[in-house]
Amino acid sequence: MPFHEINSKLVEARVVPGQRLFSQRGAMIAYRGEVSFTPNRASGQGGVMSMIGRRVAGEAAPLMTVEGNGTVMFGHGGHHIQVVELDGDTLCVEADRLLAFDGSLEQGTMFMGSQGGVMGMVRGQVTGQGLFTTTLKGRGSVAVMAHGGVLELPITPGRPVHVDPQAYVAHHGDVRNKLSTALGWRDMVGRGSGEAFQLELSGDGAVFVQASEEKL
Amino acid sequence: MHPDRAAHDPSPARAAARPGDGPEEGAWYPCSWPDKFTPVAQFLLQGGKVLAVTLTGDAVQAKNGSMVAYDGQMAFKKMSGGGEGLRGMVTRRITGEQLTVMEVKGQGTCYFADRAADISLVRLSGEKLHVEASNLLCTEAALRTGTTFTGVRGAAQGSGLFTTTVEGSGQAALISDGPAVVLRVGQGTPLQVDPGAYVAHTGDLRQSFQSGVSFRTFMGEGSGEAFQVRFEGDGLVYVQPSERNTLGGEI
Repeated sequence: MPFHEINSKLVEARVVPGQRLFSQRGAMIAYRGEVSFTPNRASGQGGVMSMIGRRVAGEAAPLMTVEGNGTVMFGHGGHHIQVVELDGDTLCVEADRLLAFDGSLEQGTMFMGSQGGVMGMVRGQVTGQGLFTTTLKGRGSVAVMAHGGVLELPITPGRPVHVDPQAYVAHHGDVRNKLSTALGWRDMVGRGSGEAFQLELSGDGAVFVQASEEKL
Repeated sequence: MHPDRAAHDPSPARAAARPGDGPEEGAWYPCSWPDKFTPVAQFLLQGGKVLAVTLTGDAVQAKNGSMVAYDGQMAFKKMSGGGEGLRGMVTRRITGEQLTVMEVKGQGTCYFADRAADISLVRLSGEKLHVEASNLLCTEAALRTGTTFTGVRGAAQGSGLFTTTVEGSGQAALISDGPAVVLRVGQGTPLQVDPGAYVAHTGDLRQSFQSGVSFRTFMGEGSGEAFQVRFEGDGLVYVQPSERNTLGGEI
């Protein structure tokens, strides 16, 4: 496990020769040893095609490659950091919430419309997540940022979890999400409870929720 | 892959809390359950910034839009005027102590959080809790809320002349910017609090307003601590490790 949590807002990563790390550009706080930081023009892995894909999708968070021998500390904007261990499954997360991740993980972009068609696209717009989201797949760890503490809620078949779209951080596992609305006449006359839209996540996995309705 | 996943799952606790779910009813409990079981919402803090409320068909009042996640079945309904009827609505409009609350009703676990603020739980058994409307996150349905006149303190706090009161027996959740400190006020040990850091108080307390304004303040050499609220009597005061912008803080 390359990430070690120093406190809730700072993680330390071990870099050994031959293993790369990706991190958000400018998120390095301090380092020991011989470590080099190279801006990653392609903002992630893959060839030119995946780079164009990310540009088009608006999921091109500026990344840098961290290589060498030593330890690096990461932190950004005083945000709470959650380290997620992946064991072969897929993590879906917004690109701007990614702080750092193992180079061994396979990075991709997922089209929201692929889950639920047009409603999936509407969901992306309503929740402010856009039409695309970043996926990370494989074995390794990911450091994800959130405003306030992070709560991990398990999702088991038959027990869906409803999440406020603004408080949603990431999810992993075999999870399907859909936008559920509880719009009533009260919302139309400006007497809504502020909970008109919810993300309904069902399947088998876990969802990470932040203790705040603020975007990063 | 996550061995601690079960630790977050509230389902075993809920199953145990519901009557009639056990294989042999009555065998687990020394006394049998009453004929009519009145469900009580269970408040549980998850890491200081998220409040998990387990509901079994009953309702709680929460700040509008503070739900972050839920499982099970929940219905959200805005309560105009803080759920105090027409009179409360008018009073709140006039006093400016606006409280936008929603009623959450259903079965399952609902998670509440507000802008990463820290949450403290207060258990009331008949006494009265005075709290700023903006610092109240969630109350049990059995608790009554109202408004009272605070006097000159409110004006210095920048929060108006009125404050919200919570009365009855049950639990309430307060939010504060940073973890709140509970300070005890006893006989002979009065407490002075910065109006901007005051969150709530309970007990039999008298409050008075004191100022440290001197000629230095008028020379522009004020220490930023021009006003304090003095609590005397017997009770508890909740203070947050942060200060709201107040009139007193600037002079």
